[in-house]
Amino acid sequence: MDRIQIPATSRSPLVDFDFPAGRLLLRGESYPEDAAAFYGPLLQALRGCLEGEATPLTFEVALSYFNSSSAKALMNLFLPLEDAAEEGREVTIRWLYAAGDDTIAEAGEDFSADFSHARFEMVQETAA
Amino acid sequence: MSGEALPQDAPRQEVSRRGGSLRGAGPLRRGDARADLGFAGVPTARDGGADTMRPGALRGAARGRDLDGLAHTLFRRLSPVIAAVVLLTQVVIAWVNYGDQIRLTGERAQMMADMTARALARPDWPASFGPQLQALTLDPAFRFAVLRDASGAVIGRLGEEPRGRSFERIQVSSEIEAGNRDGSGPQPAGSLTLVLSAEALRANAEKQVVMVLGASLALILAFALALRLAVARHVLAPLARLLAAMGRVERKEWVTVDLAGHRRPSREIADVSAAFNRMVEGLRSGDEARHLLAELERAHARLAEANGLVMESLHYARRIQRAVLPGPGSLRESGLEVAVLWEPLHVVGGDYFWIEEIDGLRIVVVADCTGHGVPGAFLTLIVATALDRILHDRGLRRPDAILAALDGTVRARLRQDREESDLSDEGLDCGICVLDRAAGTLDFAGAGLALTVLSADGVARIKGRRHGLGYRPTGREEPFSTVSLPLGDGATYYLMTDGVSDQMGGTPRRLLGYRAVAEILARHRGLPLDGQMAALEAALAAHRGAEPRRDDMTLVAFRPEAG
Repeated sequence: MDRIQIPATSRSPLVDFDFPAGRLLLRGESYPEDAAAFYGPLLQALRGCLEGEATPLTFEVALSYFNSSSAKALMNLFLPLEDAAEEGREVTIRWLYAAGDDTIAEAGEDFSADFSHARFEMVQETAA
Repeated sequence: MSGEALPQDAPRQEVSRRGGSLRGAGPLRRGDARADLGFAGVPTARDGGADTMRPGALRGAARGRDLDGLAHTLFRRLSPVIAAVVLLTQVVIAWVNYGDQIRLTGERAQMMADMTARALARPDWPASFGPQLQALTLDPAFRFAVLRDASGAVIGRLGEEPRGRSFERIQVSSEIEAGNRDGSGPQPAGSLTLVLSAEALRANAEKQVVMVLGASLALILAFALALRLAVARHVLAPLARLLAAMGRVERKEWVTVDLAGHRRPSREIADVSAAFNRMVEGLRSGDEARHLLAELERAHARLAEANGLVMESLHYARRIQRAVLPGPGSLRESGLEVAVLWEPLHVVGGDYFWIEEIDGLRIVVVADCTGHGVPGAFLTLIVATALDRILHDRGLRRPDAILAALDGTVRARLRQDREESDLSDEGLDCGICVLDRAAGTLDFAGAGLALTVLSADGVARIKGRRHGLGYRPTGREEPFSTVSLPLGDGATYYLMTDGVSDQMGGTPRRLLGYRAVAEILARHRGLPLDGQMAALEAALAAHRGAEPRRDDMTLVAFRPEAG
């Protein structure tokens, strides 16, 4: 499985899915016109990766804004990860939010409710 | 060319006559020099006199033949001078030469005469002069000799006495001094006159003149050839190239002149050519910029037209979408103060709200469908239709039942329940309030959309189910539930989509957030609801600053009117 790197745009986040290293990252804002088209290939790649060896995986999400379509897409990415964790893989979700950003923090808390096997960490980033 | 056949004879004949001379028929007349440059010979009447230079003038002048004029002019001006100088010097040399020859021949003749006179100097010379005189005839130039005695009487003569012009002969004489028999000193006894012919010298001089003329002619020819070759190579050819390039530049073909090569131009023409090349480069870049600008303007016009069509279509769609939403009349029903902020991001959007009184119940619905713009608007129509059937045909009144029915209808309509369906993963967030004034209760159920209550106790936020409606099922959805609240006096209720609080801006740059929105509303709690909406909009815009909005936004605020 190769590494997927997509630079950020004003409407889509930076993507760095380093499958060999077991590190996935989304950073920026996410409100593409067609969220399914943007996240569909990422979900495919993630599923492909999860079919392989059960190496540890860390998924960092550092979004400062995402629309409801992107929220749904994130959910779709999280579901197979939780399933993989249930099957014994070591999965960590790191939800990064800026200090004082209640909206993103709250969204993270909402997402964390979906996980019971994967580890979900809320990480507050100090303002750069 | 027969000028008579043409209607405009006078100017045509003029032109054709000049044209004939331009085609190298002979040396240029003085008056033709300007015509050669392409400026004269253009009847102003045919041009209307507006232009000082015909557009094709440069092209006409670029014909190589016209440039022969330069070589002709140089040759005509220089060759007479060179010929005169060469001729003069040669003639002077020949003249000096001829004079020397004459002098030498004269000296030789004098010597011959002296020698003969000395040989004759004997007392008996008048009787025995024969052999000495005869010896003189050995000289090929000899013509005539005469001996005279002391008294001047002719004693003997040989040859023909010359007649005619004196410059064809050389005449000298010598005294004969005979000693006396008594041994006294020499006495003048007579004289010898010798005439030699100068014709050979003259012939020689004439030959030299002919040779001088021939040499001059050869020199002039060589000069003409060399001049023509040099001018053709270093002046005419580069000029022809320059003019050809000018002609093409006139047609907007941006060619430059090659300054290298074996036909290297003279320095002046090289300078002119270099300046021309720079000018062409300037024109070319200017022309390219103009072309690009024109292209850009055309593209811009096309885009503007396309955008205009899209916007026209969108505004039409907005009218339809507005027609589906409750009109202003339903907002001013008795017993409830209502204010609405409905602002799609792109003319139309995925936010939808509904307010209706049925069977004494006041029903308020706010929905935020996936996406915005046209895709969102499509979904709102599905929601509107579904809601109409749920409320009127099926008669559902409990908010959680309405949400469940809406969820089912949307899934069915978008065919999200089928296993093979890979098409739609759309849905909506929705909040529903049912007010029963008689019972004094407000029932709320939400799916991804919360109810905000602003009362004397402060701000309360009642969240519904976390997951929205629709979407392909994940099996993790929570059940719907209704929260029942007492309809408090003085409390204000808000249903808002996330587009209201998701406003990026400020420093540090981040989302405004729900809590900040609630604070803004609380700050303006004393205002009528319309005023609150306006104040909120202004505050949102202030937070955004230069940032664009991210989403559609809808807020429905309502409060029971006192009494």
